[in-house]
Amino acid sequence: MLKPEEMTRVVVVGSIESLDATIECLYELGVLHLIDFTEQDEEFRIGQPLPTASDTSQKLLKLRSIIRSLEIEDHKPARAMHVHDIRSRMDQALVTLDLNTSSKADSRQKIQALVREKEGEIRALEPIVPFAIPVELFDGYDNLSSFVGICKTDPSAALTSKVAECEVFADARKSDVVVVAFVKSEGRTEASKILAEHGFQEIKLPKVKGDPDEIVVQLRKQIKELEADLARIEADLDAIRKQFADFIISSDEHLSIEILKAETPLRIATSANSFIIDGWAPSHRVDEIRTALDTMCCGLAFIETVSPEKSEETPVKLKNPKPVKPFEFFINLVSTPKYEEIDPTLVLFITFPLFFGFMIGDLGFGLSLVVLGAMIRWKFKSSPDLLKLGAIILAGGFMASVFGLFVFAEAFGVPFHPPVENPDEHSWEVIANIPIHPLLDKMRDSMEMIAISLVAGWIHLTVGFTFGFVNHYPHSKKHAVGKIAWLLVLFGLFAEMMVIAGDATQTSHFMNSTVLSPIPDVSADMIGIKVSMPALGLIVAGVLGIVVFEGAMALTEVVGVFTNLVSYARLAAMAIGKGAVAVAFNFMLFPMIFESGNIVVAILGVLALFVSQAFFVFFIGALSSGIQAIRLNYVEFFLKFFEGGGTEFSPLSYERKYSVITK
Amino acid sequence: MALDPTAVGLALVGAGIAIGAAGIGTGIAQAQIGAAAVGATAEDPKMFGKGLTLMVLPETIVIFGFVVAFLIYGLV
Repeated sequence: MLKPEEMTRVVVVGSIESLDATIECLYELGVLHLIDFTEQDEEFRIGQPLPTASDTSQKLLKLRSIIRSLEIEDHKPARAMHVHDIRSRMDQALVTLDLNTSSKADSRQKIQALVREKEGEIRALEPIVPFAIPVELFDGYDNLSSFVGICKTDPSAALTSKVAECEVFADARKSDVVVVAFVKSEGRTEASKILAEHGFQEIKLPKVKGDPDEIVVQLRKQIKELEADLARIEADLDAIRKQFADFIISSDEHLSIEILKAETPLRIATSANSFIIDGWAPSHRVDEIRTALDTMCCGLAFIETVSPEKSEETPVKLKNPKPVKPFEFFINLVSTPKYEEIDPTLVLFITFPLFFGFMIGDLGFGLSLVVLGAMIRWKFKSSPDLLKLGAIILAGGFMASVFGLFVFAEAFGVPFHPPVENPDEHSWEVIANIPIHPLLDKMRDSMEMIAISLVAGWIHLTVGFTFGFVNHYPHSKKHAVGKIAWLLVLFGLFAEMMVIAGDATQTSHFMNSTVLSPIPDVSADMIGIKVSMPALGLIVAGVLGIVVFEGAMALTEVVGVFTNLVSYARLAAMAIGKGAVAVAFNFMLFPMIFESGNIVVAILGVLALFVSQAFFVFFIGALSSGIQAIRLNYVEFFLKFFEGGGTEFSPLSYERKYSVITK
Repeated sequence: MALDPTAVGLALVGAGIAIGAAGIGTGIAQAQIGAAAVGATAEDPKMFGKGLTLMVLPETIVIFGFVVAFLIYGLV
């Protein structure tokens, strides 16, 4: 929590004979983050791929082409295959598959091309069938030009009147006209101009002889024969698919892993007799690597821990308890934290559901979100990102239900009990008398809600500046102290706001009498505003501190602290806004449902209510509340301390889904 | 204090203008940032987090409008 997993800089060295065993061992463990070797010298050069590499990649290439021919890219084997079985069947299966599939796939392709060609010919000939003119007569004259095509409107009249000595055949169809025109060569230009005016599109006739009708019948017969051949080939391929698909996909995975391993030497340093692998490993697992190397490499390779150089960047593996893990999703959306930085996932885990819950604050919508989150987790087990998102929605929905039940006492925008001032308002009392009364009313206690938001903002920002202090402390004491100056400004501003609010809200009253009670109550009226002298003193001291420790330029950002603090008022704004929208729809549609007395109108009202609530309040509300909750973290909170740009820990490892290792 | 109804009315109109105008301002700012952010994200999905952060920055303007509106609302 708050700090990533501790990493140790390690070096694995060994005799060159044990290189493949070492690579195998490291991939099995999956805990070593390799540093690519780049600086070659006399002694050490980049390694050569393992001897198996070229043979394996040839096999994989063949396999991939077979996968394409069989069109089984998306096939998922029912169960994983033993690597031992894959190896023993590989060579023979590849020969069989190669013999049976490539020739068949070739023929299939040729037949498909032929069918397409013949269909094209049919398409060209069909329009001229009604004219019953043999195809060879359309072309090959010395003094005659022929036009065959389709016009949008009939050009016959225009052609016969304007072009001397021409013969036009036209066949009107549903939306266009098929036109065949023979004109003397000298009238050619004029004819094409007229045709163009009628939207003429030429048809290219195939080079065949005979009556077009007969030819079309002939072509259809040929296509039918070709399709029968195609079906036979498909059946053969299907049989192969049934027999080999599982094996092919499992082998594809196995060979990919083999190549990954075989090409690893390209990333490490080797000399004539030895190799060196530089990397990082989680500190508590170094011993595990040591033991594994001892047993698998017979003492020919061993691991040493070394102290890292200053310029080296430690890879980051975030370390959080299981319930907090899903919130790493938000961190990864921005950037991986640096190794020395605080990992803010824990704060997100606490603040995101709280902010989200406060903004939604409704038992009905909260429970719906819980169900939605659970469904996402259940339906999309295979996608890690969606699993995390599901957990986040679930947590947010849970907090929204808690707020809805105990604080706002409402469900689906309808309160459990009508407010005292307006006893006729719609409420759940009609159905059940729930013994919970609201602590806050969204529509009436808006100042109270803004005050609560400000307190939340003050706490959140204080944590942010504190993190900034901790992050800066090891490398720049000056910047770290600067963060304390910012904290002073923040505290002064917050105290001043609470002094202005005074006893107007319970929250400010509570803050003034507890957290802020040590501050002496010395205030003066300035331009009609009550200004607390100690608070003003804190702000001035803070600003001076900022100038000293962070430079005069930082002064421009002082107003930003005020902006940040007020920015948290969005918590109240979203809650009130969302509540108001729900109430507005209920107010408009409830009379239609309960008081119209007409069943059709009532059903329409229920439908409208459902759509408006589901879309505007639930969907848009949840989306915008989620964005606002994460924004407060990204903008207001993260900018106080977070730099990011760390390297993610990605160890040598692989994932087997469709193949299993036989020990 | 009992206020003249006209004054109350004008104050409420003021509250409306505060939040309405702030909303328009935010909209104008977000329109441009949003378009640029979508472009950046399309080129490199890793920009999503940064894009979102920049995209929501002007929202603070409308929050100011909201706060001012409620301060006025609280006065009348």
